[in-house]
Amino acid sequence: MFPLRSIGQTWTIAWREFVAMFRVPVGWLVLALYVGLWGVMFVQFVLVPGAPATLRPLFATAAWLMLPIAPAISMRLVSDELRTGSYELLATAPVGDLSLTMGKFLGAALYLLAMLAGTLPLVGVLMAVSQPAPDVGPILAGYLSVTLLGLLFLAVGLLASCLTPSQTLSFLGAMLALLVWLLATTVGRARAPDSVAQILAALAITDRLSGFAKGVIDTGDVAFFLVLTAWFVLASSIAIAVRRWL
Amino acid sequence: MRQSEASVVPASWPRIGIPTLAVSSESTNQPEDRNHPDRPYPPARHPMIEVRNLHKTYGRLHALAGVSFDVPPGQVTGLLGANGAGKSTTIRIITGYTAPDAGWVRVGGLLTSQHSVRVRQHIGYLPESAPTYGEMPVAAILSYRASLHGLRGKARQRAVERAIDTCVLGAVRKRRVGQLSKGYKQRVGLATAILHDPPVLILDEPSNGLDPGQITETRSLIRRLAEGRTVLVSSHILPEIERTCDRLVMLARGQLCAQGSLKDLLSQGEHEFLCESKFQTHEAATRAAAAVRAIVGVQGLVAREMDGLVMRWRVSFDPAQAAEAPLRGIIARELALAQAEVRLFEREKASLESLFLKLMEQGPLEAPTQGPDEGSAA
Repeated sequence: MFPLRSIGQTWTIAWREFVAMFRVPVGWLVLALYVGLWGVMFVQFVLVPGAPATLRPLFATAAWLMLPIAPAISMRLVSDELRTGSYELLATAPVGDLSLTMGKFLGAALYLLAMLAGTLPLVGVLMAVSQPAPDVGPILAGYLSVTLLGLLFLAVGLLASCLTPSQTLSFLGAMLALLVWLLATTVGRARAPDSVAQILAALAITDRLSGFAKGVIDTGDVAFFLVLTAWFVLASSIAIAVRRWL
Repeated sequence: MRQSEASVVPASWPRIGIPTLAVSSESTNQPEDRNHPDRPYPPARHPMIEVRNLHKTYGRLHALAGVSFDVPPGQVTGLLGANGAGKSTTIRIITGYTAPDAGWVRVGGLLTSQHSVRVRQHIGYLPESAPTYGEMPVAAILSYRASLHGLRGKARQRAVERAIDTCVLGAVRKRRVGQLSKGYKQRVGLATAILHDPPVLILDEPSNGLDPGQITETRSLIRRLAEGRTVLVSSHILPEIERTCDRLVMLARGQLCAQGSLKDLLSQGEHEFLCESKFQTHEAATRAAAAVRAIVGVQGLVAREMDGLVMRWRVSFDPAQAAEAPLRGIIARELALAQAEVRLFEREKASLESLFLKLMEQGPLEAPTQGPDEGSAA
């Protein structure tokens, strides 16, 4: 179904995308912004004398912090190629639509991991200044939650990027969709009728993140993020295929 | 089909190393029968690119309306037409970038609608204005493109070096493409198109926006790249097509105007007079045209109103029936009888420009007759 050659092509696209992020200023800006915000929150909420040595406050706000960051990463994935015309070269290369979208997504995912790696020194600082050292389990679970959340948000952003040649529209579209999702499943759910509230509860992202923050890795929560991410990547692939018919 | 036929690439195939493209030894009208990847067919009997009854609309705009033509193997075919004639749309359909509303395309015997990825593997494509990644160095782009074509390790390295040598990019191999001149960018585009040594090269407006020196360089480069390949090159720059191409496919308003070898098409214009006259009334012009059409030896007359009562005629004649000089005299007499003020009366020179203008005046050919396999396969 997904032959070796396609895996090679997917990886080729992913690596180019990852490297390209560091060839444009926006790549460095987003990285600096994300790590900087983590640093500010770390100083403000974690590095407090007498407070428990935990990164829970950071992971708890991860969803809201990722809200503008993920669309900023994903906005250029396909939109920029559509705008400059290089998409024509990519679309006429012997690469399947799924390989193309997977490659784009993986490239962004690698960048996300690099971004999260930039926050690891904060863990080192916490370990150094805490007595006794904090439990590693919740920290690992927290990082897993942020990674899964980032992947889902990137997949939503990728779909938005496949739909328009405008990076601005792609950014705003993805951010708006994610904001509506977060608000509907938190604020909206409390005011919705029971039948709708049940559906919103099933789609709630913040509920599932709270489990990770406690250091609990529920396979159901992991599957939730992975399945939805795969769904949005597949939808992006369909959007690319439909583009040939327009 | 015998097994031995399936594994042997015919000697007459125009390129070495493309057995996966060959598909059929039968002369059949059914596209499906020719699509089996292991069935070779003699390329001498089948065009490398077959385009049949293509239709494409963008909203209300009918970009293509039943375009059909062939591109024979091993030749450079020019796709000619005014801006908006449908050249780029046709090329985008052949390369698989966009799908037609109706009709089908076969490249090397493979239907693009069914074998899109495999067809793309055998096509080298230079889109109009050669878009690429401006932030990447030349060698990195070539390496990336080679990887997309499945080349790995030393094979990729060799392909990149060969493309750099062929397109004379050695001096700029480490520079970012965004910093290069337009001529160099075009060369990078050509290098990416030939990286995987494709049997088919498709170039969309390769001279667009280049200065005369760069045009000359690009032309000679295309000629070099065309050796042993099937090339389809689109342009609206007539001298480019005239100097580069063996064959011509001409489009106007999304329809086919003409196709054939450049020599044959140009020879059509050898026995023609071009005549521009001002008549006193439209009726006089119509009467005079009818009288000229009735002259023995005159094969046809295409009239075009230039400005008010000024008419431009293209009068074709058969030299076997009437010699040029007496015929010219008879036509001049008819014009004099109609009291027309003759502004131009000359033997048409056989040039691509005159052919282009003539075909634009005549408009599209009759719609091609559909064979049993010429329905929509898309």
